[in-house]
Amino acid sequence: MTPASDDGLFERVLDAAASDGSGAELYERRGRLLELTEDETGTSLLESGEHGLALRLFKGGRSAFAASGPAHALLLPSQAHARLPRARTRRGVRLPAPVAGEAPEGRPIGDPPAPDVDLARTLLTGFRQALTSSGRGSVAVREASVALGERTERLATTSGRDTAWGSRLATLVATVVGRTTGGRFSARVVGAAPRPEELPVARLARHAADRVLLPLHGRPFDATRADVLLDPLVASHLVGRLAPLFLGDDEEALLAARTRDGRDALASPLVSIVDDATVSGGLVRGVRDGEGTPQGRTRLVERGLSSGRLTDTAAALRLSRPLSGNAIRVAWSDAPRIGVTNFFVDPSPGVSPLDLLGSVSRGLYAAVLLERPDVDLAADRFRLVVAGYAVEKGRATERISEAEISGRLSEFLRGVSGIGDDLKFAIGGTGSIGSPTLLVPRWRTG
Amino acid sequence: MREPSELARDADDAVRLVSGLLRRGETGEAFRERVRTESWSATESGLLAPALSVESGTAVRIRREGRLLLVARSGAGPEALRDAVREAGRLAGNAPFFKAHRSSGTSPAERAVERAEAEEEGRSAALAAALARAFPDPRGISATLQLSRIVTERTVVTPRALLPCGARTRLVAAGTIRRSGAERPFSFQSARPFAEAANALALALHEATRPVPGLPPPPGPVDVVFSPSAASVFWHEVVGHSLEADGGERGSVLSRVKGAAVAPPGLDVHDDPGRADLPGAYGVDDEGTLARAIPLLADGVVTGLLADRRSGGVESNGHGRTASFRRPPRARMSNLVANAGHASFGELIERCGDGVLVKEVATGSADPESGRFVLLVSAAEAIRRGRRSAPLTPFALGGEILSALGAIEDVWGNEVLPATGLSICVKGGDAVPVGGAAAALLVRGLVARTARR
Repeated sequence: MTPASDDGLFERVLDAAASDGSGAELYERRGRLLELTEDETGTSLLESGEHGLALRLFKGGRSAFAASGPAHALLLPSQAHARLPRARTRRGVRLPAPVAGEAPEGRPIGDPPAPDVDLARTLLTGFRQALTSSGRGSVAVREASVALGERTERLATTSGRDTAWGSRLATLVATVVGRTTGGRFSARVVGAAPRPEELPVARLARHAADRVLLPLHGRPFDATRADVLLDPLVASHLVGRLAPLFLGDDEEALLAARTRDGRDALASPLVSIVDDATVSGGLVRGVRDGEGTPQGRTRLVERGLSSGRLTDTAAALRLSRPLSGNAIRVAWSDAPRIGVTNFFVDPSPGVSPLDLLGSVSRGLYAAVLLERPDVDLAADRFRLVVAGYAVEKGRATERISEAEISGRLSEFLRGVSGIGDDLKFAIGGTGSIGSPTLLVPRWRTG
Repeated sequence: MREPSELARDADDAVRLVSGLLRRGETGEAFRERVRTESWSATESGLLAPALSVESGTAVRIRREGRLLLVARSGAGPEALRDAVREAGRLAGNAPFFKAHRSSGTSPAERAVERAEAEEEGRSAALAAALARAFPDPRGISATLQLSRIVTERTVVTPRALLPCGARTRLVAAGTIRRSGAERPFSFQSARPFAEAANALALALHEATRPVPGLPPPPGPVDVVFSPSAASVFWHEVVGHSLEADGGERGSVLSRVKGAAVAPPGLDVHDDPGRADLPGAYGVDDEGTLARAIPLLADGVVTGLLADRRSGGVESNGHGRTASFRRPPRARMSNLVANAGHASFGELIERCGDGVLVKEVATGSADPESGRFVLLVSAAEAIRRGRRSAPLTPFALGGEILSALGAIEDVWGNEVLPATGLSICVKGGDAVPVGGAAAALLVRGLVARTARR
């Protein structure tokens, strides 16, 4: 890591911001990203550095936000001050207080080191080889890229919070094309991991091959009611759409409507939903959130019943709940907002997906999503368009090119009768969304 | 005399730096960007928290035999350019020669702050008034919105010249509106002058707060009349994406049949970055190529392909666009414009018989390789016996590109109007502003899908 070279810019901005007695929070991010892309035209190498600062001012129950690169950072206090009189809040704002037991670090941050291009090349080669094997010669890569990123962050407030931390992220994005006598189909798949060596290259290649070959083979699913098994990467996209229900107190009314003010369960007693920034296999490995709060595990649904909320400083105070460390800054130029880290259905240890498959007499295994899930929380309905396999007496029998799973979302969640131990994550929301295999018997399909 | 833009003050030095970087057989350019975003969170009761972000950056790009090297740095001044050139030279194995540079002088940014803030106060008031008009009685409505006024200024530095791409201003709104137990995604964008854009936003919001009806659309094949605004999204997904050259010359169902008649005679669709009234407009693309209008369908025949400098086997025609200085340019649409026909809107409804009138499409997607496309319809009405009937609940509309184009009726609307819902187009994770203008359209036999109750 190269040392910081801005000669106290961070401190000067924070001092200027607080000169009139306002509470101030200053955030700084430095990042490096390397992206190697191979496509039909050739290769691209992107090497990118970022450095930005963001200021939030708090005064008289109002808050204002301003962000810029270092060249104009000294203007941030005046820009934020100018906006304060126009600010209103619906539910109140709060300057993050020091974390109990933590001393201010006051540590300047420097640029992270440049990521390794050879590692990116190795990962791309591994993906191509795995896809050749999984696709049995019928799947080609149109474009694949590996991005390796690292960033350092610092946050300090006039109330005494001052902390610095770092994180890494690796992603693999590929557009693949399936070509068979049945036609052509293309799809874009995305995988991520907190470290390059954890990227699930082989699994992503298998998923990519399924994604483009299943719609080209087999037949549409014709049963109108069947046992439904959702692959983890299908289920995670449905589960992820529940996240807004738990973001602070934004959706209290909606959550109350879904559970009749807590009298009804949100889901089957088998279902527990968690947000955990440190879970193994999660695509995010968080240390602190965008307010510098340490991140951890928050139980949101316990045995089907709503039990927790994701909070930032202000929401925790309003709800009288502990800080969960979920104030997320999507970019340094965005104000923090409540979001997920790794949001998932807790797996059932010892229940393999094969056990669940074995319990299906006549059903559908939904292996891949063909369209973005259509979920309306307010109307309590959902629709998934998937491809996969027909299941007869516990065995996958033939390929299904297209099937639709739809209905009332609350009924579907309460109908979950089996959960596997094969938790997997996909990119979603402000972090990642995950689920093991889910079994819902006798559901409407088409 | 007008002060040169922050991105162009060191024009001579910048051009020298870029030309000194490139070796024989290489092409390339530097790209500078400054994005100023004033934003407001908002609800049905008005504007809440204001925010400002200013991000500037510099990228240096070098191309050689199908390879692209891009180095990006924060900041749009001489230091950022020198830093990016130095790193690009190191990675490419070149040794850039750095001349002594003059000081860039005092930034005019400080002087502009007070003026900009006074103007912003006026815009806040205009937006607050627009929200008040949109929600005259907010009871029973819950809106969560993010409103942004985004000013993007871009400059390309080639080895010969510094080419300003111009500054573009957009008003963007996105979020969710709930009413009567149903939620509706809302998106809006306008490149018109601020007061006009705020008025249009108020109208669009007001329309989006009408109660969502419970009646489902007829399932299965359905004849569809697209309003001019919805027709723009149809053309965008069905024709525009299929004729972006990043998939190669044979990468889509349309590019594979170049020269073939796929739509009714007389139907023209072209991509026009020069339509300054639409959000996707620009004068020079993000690689320094002069933008020009490209016919994609002429007289119903597939004629063109949108290309950037890297598109295989095709010369750039000014459609190299990037989401930000950190991303490589790709062949992308700007403003997709379809020509007017001769039928009135009422004639199309009557001609439809029994079917659906699609008024707004919230979002869409297409797989150019297979030709499948899906449009998520957010506002629609049933058509019965040639007359507009009951409003319909949101639903998905699917089809296959070549079949859908072949199923367009040979008469279409006589009034071309700009799209209000078409805003940001995200492809491969890269978002660029786009626009569209089209006339109403009747397409037979698309497939309606809806979630079962």
